[in-house]
Amino acid sequence: MTTMAISDALYDELVGILGEDGVLTGKPARWNRTRTPAPFPVHRWKEYVPDVVVLPRTTEQVAEIVRLANRTGTPVVPRAAGTGLTDGATPLRGGILLDVKRMNEIREIDLVDRTVTVQPGINMLKLNEVLQPHGVMFPDNPASYPCSMVGGRIGTSGWSLIGARYGHTRDLVCSMEVVLPTGDVIRVGEGGGRKLRKASTGYTIKPLFFGHEGTLGVVTEATLELVPRPQAEFAAFFGYRDYDTAWRSTGALAKSGFATLAGVVLFDEWKLAYLRRDDEAYIEQPDWLKSVVAVAMYGNKAEVVPAAREIMRIGRESGGSYLGDEISQGDWAARHDRYAIPLHGRLRTGEVAPMSWHCEDAALNYSVLPRVREEWHAIADHYIRRYGIFDDWGMFAYTNGAYKPWGDYLVEIDIGIWEQKLDDEMWEAWLNCKREITEVTLRYGGSISACHGASRAGDVEYVPQELGGAFDVMKKIKRALDPNNVMNPGKYLLDQAYED
Amino acid sequence: MTTEAEDQQREFVERWRDPAYGCFSSGHKFCRNVCPVMQVTQNENHSPTAFHANIVAMEQGALTVADVAEDYVHCTQCGACELRCPNTLMAGDFYRARTRTVDVVKAMRALAVDSGIEQPNWKRWVEATVDRKNEPVLDVPVAQENVANWADGLGLGVGGETVLFVDCEAAFYRTTLPRAVARILQKGGVDFGLMREQWCCGGPAAEMGYVARSREFAVHNVADWRGIGASRIITLDPHDYITFTEDYPKYFGVDYEFEIVHITELVAELIRDGKLSLMVPIERVATYHDPCRLNKRKGIHKSPREILRAIPGLDFRDVDHVTQWSYCSGAGGGLSIERPEITAAISQQRLDRAAALDVDLLVSACVWSERPLAAAGETRDIEVRDLMELVAESAGLEVTAVTT
Ligand SMILES: Cc1cc2nc3c(=O)[nH]c(=O)nc-3n(C[C@H](O)[C@H](O)[C@H](O)COP(=O)(O)OP(=O)(O)OC[C@H]3O[C@@H](n4cnc5c(N)ncnc54)[C@H](O)[C@@H]3O)c2cc1C
Ligand code: SF4
Repeated sequence: MTTMAISDALYDELVGILGEDGVLTGKPARWNRTRTPAPFPVHRWKEYVPDVVVLPRTTEQVAEIVRLANRTGTPVVPRAAGTGLTDGATPLRGGILLDVKRMNEIREIDLVDRTVTVQPGINMLKLNEVLQPHGVMFPDNPASYPCSMVGGRIGTSGWSLIGARYGHTRDLVCSMEVVLPTGDVIRVGEGGGRKLRKASTGYTIKPLFFGHEGTLGVVTEATLELVPRPQAEFAAFFGYRDYDTAWRSTGALAKSGFATLAGVVLFDEWKLAYLRRDDEAYIEQPDWLKSVVAVAMYGNKAEVVPAAREIMRIGRESGGSYLGDEISQGDWAARHDRYAIPLHGRLRTGEVAPMSWHCEDAALNYSVLPRVREEWHAIADHYIRRYGIFDDWGMFAYTNGAYKPWGDYLVEIDIGIWEQKLDDEMWEAWLNCKREITEVTLRYGGSISACHGASRAGDVEYVPQELGGAFDVMKKIKRALDPNNVMNPGKYLLDQAYED
Repeated sequence: MTTEAEDQQREFVERWRDPAYGCFSSGHKFCRNVCPVMQVTQNENHSPTAFHANIVAMEQGALTVADVAEDYVHCTQCGACELRCPNTLMAGDFYRARTRTVDVVKAMRALAVDSGIEQPNWKRWVEATVDRKNEPVLDVPVAQENVANWADGLGLGVGGETVLFVDCEAAFYRTTLPRAVARILQKGGVDFGLMREQWCCGGPAAEMGYVARSREFAVHNVADWRGIGASRIITLDPHDYITFTEDYPKYFGVDYEFEIVHITELVAELIRDGKLSLMVPIERVATYHDPCRLNKRKGIHKSPREILRAIPGLDFRDVDHVTQWSYCSGAGGGLSIERPEITAAISQQRLDRAAALDVDLLVSACVWSERPLAAAGETRDIEVRDLMELVAESAGLEVTAVTT
């Protein structure tokens, strides 16, 4: 009933590659594969709609689609779960939306050399259900664990909640098969190895294929790390009368040097006020409480049990009061679910308004956390007062480095936005708010993004400034690998690579 | 679109835009992995997220009911997405908010039918049901005069305070089930009768979007219940249980006076009270399939397990009811009528999960699930039976199909 947005010739070629069942031209198919959970200028939805959706199952099909795209000059945007928070999977120029959800096979579980080889459309929760009986797991564990997929984890260079212990996405991929923007298929790993963890042969190419947001090709298979399932899991929540003590205590806990340490999280009083106000799962805490620090440890019993005793000592000696088992175990267990509840948005008058969740996710050093926190909240407050459609949901800082959790933090400020009210003016106001937050980050020597990527408006303008000369290298790489600019064009200002 | 259709669509959007926005603004998609249809099609058009987002797009004037109607066929109305949604999990008690995807799907299907957009197999199914007063259950002759044939030789009366309502699939196709249930109730000392004239419950018509049709069945059945002085209705099929506890109260409001009981709750009570003893060992290795409408939509998952544990000799390998949020037979919500190949694929997946437990028996408590599950079980040598058939056997009662 709707006419196609692509030519009959392109449609026929795609059907030739994928069969009819793998090519979707209908409007709902296209409209539902544009947005991501990040706030989205809903009034401008139509600008981001792809022309056709394809659902490949094999590497060869992906390669043929990309070759076809080169021949016809059609953009290709890979999309895994569509949960990325930097709009990576949102097409900017229509074209072919390449949805990898049907590429969800587990190809090999190797319990001897400890790897699992999968297609990119598999989700970690599902994967670990299959791995569990073997006593191993793939430890990439973002808050989006029940939904995001391996392809998107690689595409964004994701960050894991237990990354201090087990590493983040980029530490957990031994090798991967990539369809390059020209349609050539290569395998990148450590040297030429498929299941190696370290090699020194040639350039170190693999890191290039993390966090490129689909601009350098499509991952079609990945060989991932397997770790023993932990025998013991320990979590403790400490409470503090003020932020500064909590911040110092965080430092002491993170520097404890225990290899089992999976993460230390510092919540500020805005976050507590927000939880007290609106989170029904919040476990009642005394009024004097102004800051909370959570610590988690994973590993063998022989390591975790004695280390936990030490962690309890450090927490208490640095000024924390243990908040009890209920919150420690319960809140840690609920870590994947306590997100983005639209009903928790409030106007300044206290009225409930359905809000979307936006989070800034800068990487910042430990030393600057208190100052950044104050500046960020002041910016948020200004926009809340002025525009009335925003709400400050508080901040947390989470140990960031894999295996070395002491020096830097993923720092989030969560801001509610009443998207239904967005128009061009409000959208611009929002972008300005983001820009001010970003400027603070850069002023303190931080990076715009620790986990989601920085390719959305409000962030992306600052990428050349943050990267400096490295941005020029980025452009050269892009042009060298993608001569026709077909892979996710327009992202990361990379059109500049083709200007001359 | 005609102006009338446009008005209908506008009213629909008005009614559902805010709940839809509750999902759109979250969009975490935790629901996707538990959705039985998504698990087999991996097509995001069929995801709960899309079902909500479409309404936001309709509000934007980007999509119409004609664009999306066909997508809404792809739902078994199992309710898994609602349970897995963080908005339900984290705001459910306090705000009394629950993501209501099943209601959204039903409402969109109704809007489609009211706008003249019909699915061919559903249309035929509902027409035949209206014609015969009972569902045109496949492969068997269905007619109103045969609706109680299943009870031949059991000596059951008509009327009384408690009525046994026998689902169409059970009455015409799997007659072992109602016969087993009748014998269990007799043995347990429960007085009950049948209706004078039992019509289809009307639930399937409502699920497919034919609400006015559904009401006609409801009006007839309720009049029949009142006419025979019934106050308690025993259902043996979870779909009827939903229809009588969710659709009928909507149709009749405060005037709806009936107590609705599901058979597993009643039988568990009979066993607990010592009124029914299970003595005959059943030497099988079994697992239990949580019917979606009992487990996910009504929270009934304890009584069937209690019953299974009371059966002597049974090696019962349980999978907990939360894990089973992502399990389904694929038979519900009219999917098996409009997209039988997807139902079959979902049942295949369910049987794969059973096979991994090394069982030779899959026990269900939903007669509609049993046909596709049994078909999928054949290639794996796993038999599919209804819980009540097993109970009857273990109580030393005869379990036979009607022979007429
Ligand atoms: C509730 C919630 C919690 C979150 N918590 C975290 C968290 O703790 N840590 C974290 O890191 N992120 C988190 N995120 C963000 C998001 O889940 C991650 O960015 C995730 O890695 C995205 O995966 P995806 O499968 O959804 O990818 P998509 O959004 O589909 O894609 C992300 C990017 O990768 C590209 N891409 C996808 N597949 C491929 C492929 N096969 N080859 C090449 N490129 C590809 C896309 O083009 C896009 O640019 C959260 C999001 C939500 C909604
Ligand atoms: S239905 Fe719930 S879980 Fe699914 S996307 Fe919507 S809000 Fe998220």
